[in-house]
Amino acid sequence: MSKLIGRVLATEKNPTTMDEFNFWTNSDLKLHAFDIVKVEHIENTYTFGVIENISHITDAQSFLTNFISSDFGDVDIEEPTLRVGMNYAKAKVSFNNGNLYTPVHNNAKVYLATAEEITIALGLDRIQNPLVCGSLKMYEGTSEEVILPVHLNSKFILGPEGAHLNISGISGLAAKTSYAMFLMKAIQDQYSSADTEDSVAFVIFNVKGRDLMAIDRTNDFSADAPGERDRILAEYDSLGLSTDPFKNVKYYIPYSSSTSAKQSTYLTKGDIENYIAAVQLKKFKYIYSDDKENIEMMFADIDDPAQTMESIVSKIIDKDDKDFSGLSTWGGFMDKVAEKAQKGTAGDKGDISVLSWRKFKRVVRKAIQDDMFANAVNPTKAECRLADELKQIRRNEVCVIDIAKLPEDKQAFVFGDAVRTIYNLKLGEYDAESGVEPPSRIIVFIDELNKYASKDIPKTSPILREILDVTERGRSLGVVLFAAEQFRSAIHDRVTGNCATHAYGRTNSIETSTRDYGSLPNTYKNMLTRLEQGDYLVQNPVFRSLLKIKFPKPIYKQFK
Amino acid sequence: MSSSADANRKRDKIMNTLADITGGKSYKAHKYGLDHTDRPAVDYGDSEIIWKRRAETTPHKTYVDLSPLGKKLASREDQVLAYFLDGSRRVFKVDDISYPQSGGRSIIYPVIAGQIGVGCCRRVCRKVVPVKFKQEFVLSMPDVADADGKPGFWPATAKKLSECDELKRVGIEFSTILPYKTSKNEDKKFEDRATACVQARMIEREKELVAELVREGRLNQDNYLVKDGSLEYRPTKEDKNDKKKYQTFKNNYNWVISASKNFNPEVCEDINGKPNPGFIADLPLCHRTPVAEYENPMLGDIKFAVWYIRLRDTKQTRTPFDGILKIEKILVTGEENDGGIDSELVDTLSAYLMNERNPVCYGSDLRWANHIYPVYLTESYVKSRYLSAESFLHLF
Repeated sequence: MSKLIGRVLATEKNPTTMDEFNFWTNSDLKLHAFDIVKVEHIENTYTFGVIENISHITDAQSFLTNFISSDFGDVDIEEPTLRVGMNYAKAKVSFNNGNLYTPVHNNAKVYLATAEEITIALGLDRIQNPLVCGSLKMYEGTSEEVILPVHLNSKFILGPEGAHLNISGISGLAAKTSYAMFLMKAIQDQYSSADTEDSVAFVIFNVKGRDLMAIDRTNDFSADAPGERDRILAEYDSLGLSTDPFKNVKYYIPYSSSTSAKQSTYLTKGDIENYIAAVQLKKFKYIYSDDKENIEMMFADIDDPAQTMESIVSKIIDKDDKDFSGLSTWGGFMDKVAEKAQKGTAGDKGDISVLSWRKFKRVVRKAIQDDMFANAVNPTKAECRLADELKQIRRNEVCVIDIAKLPEDKQAFVFGDAVRTIYNLKLGEYDAESGVEPPSRIIVFIDELNKYASKDIPKTSPILREILDVTERGRSLGVVLFAAEQFRSAIHDRVTGNCATHAYGRTNSIETSTRDYGSLPNTYKNMLTRLEQGDYLVQNPVFRSLLKIKFPKPIYKQFK
Repeated sequence: MSSSADANRKRDKIMNTLADITGGKSYKAHKYGLDHTDRPAVDYGDSEIIWKRRAETTPHKTYVDLSPLGKKLASREDQVLAYFLDGSRRVFKVDDISYPQSGGRSIIYPVIAGQIGVGCCRRVCRKVVPVKFKQEFVLSMPDVADADGKPGFWPATAKKLSECDELKRVGIEFSTILPYKTSKNEDKKFEDRATACVQARMIEREKELVAELVREGRLNQDNYLVKDGSLEYRPTKEDKNDKKKYQTFKNNYNWVISASKNFNPEVCEDINGKPNPGFIADLPLCHRTPVAEYENPMLGDIKFAVWYIRLRDTKQTRTPFDGILKIEKILVTGEENDGGIDSELVDTLSAYLMNERNPVCYGSDLRWANHIYPVYLTESYVKSRYLSAESFLHLF
């Protein structure tokens, strides 16, 4: 039998309603926000409520009463009798098992719910295509503690019903990357064992250090307390996940010549050699003749109100252009641009001013000053074109693209190129090429989405355009964006608006006071500012309410 | 036929039934509560109190400072004040009823109804929990309503009344009907006479509850009972007749002290034996007066020890008598009767009581300065159990 913990309160000033009710409990009872309680209701039904806030009151009429009770301000006074006090909790109605949303009655009995009832109350019992997204803990710290795995319908995160995931939270404390990786691990686990026609592959951008550059190696837990390893493995087990790290992983790092002092990756030479020996790593290059279409990505951050840059780019990629057709190297291209930027250039009818050419030259020259902009690819030295590799992506493969050490403009260039390739791949543009067999869903994970899709990015940005295409059309095409950022409020509304699943990690009070968090009750907003690492509030169309979930630490190799 | 008679009876209010039984005429007069009017005292005069000698083992001449002992006791976290008792009553004038007198005249008398509640709470781990509660509904009628004057008339009437459907429906019983005196030689109003009867009944119930606590072995030197209000109990005639019973009655009070919020400052004597209210008014904070002893012939040969404690500084109260508690204890043993109470015990009890000054019920009760919190809680508990005035008055 469930434990009786209190009774419903209904007064003239605080009535029970269809959406909420209050109930009193013993002031020492441990309850937490998001805990589920069960209330006896009419026709032998039960109404379930999610705790939103708990208040403690005493019979003291005012603060003054308490002050007087310590001999008018003597801080050392101990009272021989404790003041009569009680707790009352405010709960939001989440479900009634007889579909009766008549307000619950005064003095109705309030119980703790069992694991089974919690599952029903949250609507977790009838989830199709279940995909584990963490676990929830109820009645934490009591003898009635319940831990349940939480599943969401994979069709609502990978499409076609709903797609895209947005994770927000401040750096370091929210573990955004870890959560995205946890979900992707769950997805890979499920799709590699499931017997469905659906298939999935992952394209992951590594933006910080070597963080995601060893996701197929096991975590040695060397930085954790002893016993932590067994606890975490058991947690994975209880969620129905394997305890292996990612499988079928390929790494791509920007090419830099072996003689150059400046390397464009945080991997050590030894790591690179090992990966190459295991045929897991390739160095990617951009070749003028194949990648000139992507030059516009270099202008993602540049305001172009007169669209002169755009007209230069279209001139360059024009196959019949008398100046630029036939060029095959970045060097030749730069010479041509330099020529155009000269004063009094002959042969041009002057539709693009010299000043524009100079601006173009300035931006491009800086952008292509990198070894990865090269003349040719040498496959024998593990070199490749990134787009060619992405076209070949197969089911269950994980491609990790390392852009951590690149400057921001080149990061944008690589990201833009990759997203465009994947989008075109799923559009079917490369179907005629041999070896192209894309899986039905491709998940792209990018951290620091604010760099590419913030509200301040110029509207003309080609990368923003790509991202909007993906979020708005990717659901049906099978391109799914998993994105993370510090401040959700900074992200373009059309991007967040199209995400079906939102995970809110720890953030600060300035962020929670923005309009984006307006729909959350105050208690939850405050809770967001003190969530622990590994705790998330998750919103998904299949959940009846926001859920507070936990997820285990990463199972792949960690660099500290 | 019988069903319509039933229906008639069902509609019968109490007053109709009462008028039927007693042969009076009910006037269906205005019904109202009497509690907010002046609170009549039990009718024995203050003047009858006889102040006697000092009643403690150390003959203090002036105030005794309790603060060092109070601090010491507060730091030790043990407690001897464990039980708290409060009785309260609510009286209502529910009707006027007339009875014929000689010469064809009739006189109108008020009918008074009262709710009596007596509750006891215990303090466990600094929390106050209810232990006992007694509730009673009583009526007070003029003595002339008993036309024959035969014993057993009132209990029989009460019983008959309780069979009335109206009462059965709401599950209420009148336990007794208290006749008030209608003789003209007293100048008190009939209402006040009736109220005094209800008050006396309440005190009777309080006594029973104390006796019950003693019988159950709850009270001892580590578990004192603090009673709200005066200890001036009158032993009943039966008490006095049976010597053994009388001693039991006194023994019941060995572990009982009373704390009164209201007292008549005129009946305090100073060290010279003269009434001197100033002596109490000037009582410094956290001090007590010496213990005095008095006897009240109305209350039999019981001797009372009485002293006063100041809980609140006069700076923070409205009048100099606010913040002072009057403490009474019955002198039970022969030793006590001869030499007075042990001064150490008085000091200890006083210090414990003084520590009860916090928390306060400021804001909830105007008498906060004189209230001690566990008693206030007991009182709130008792009052919370009353039938609401509307529901109660609707019975008549």
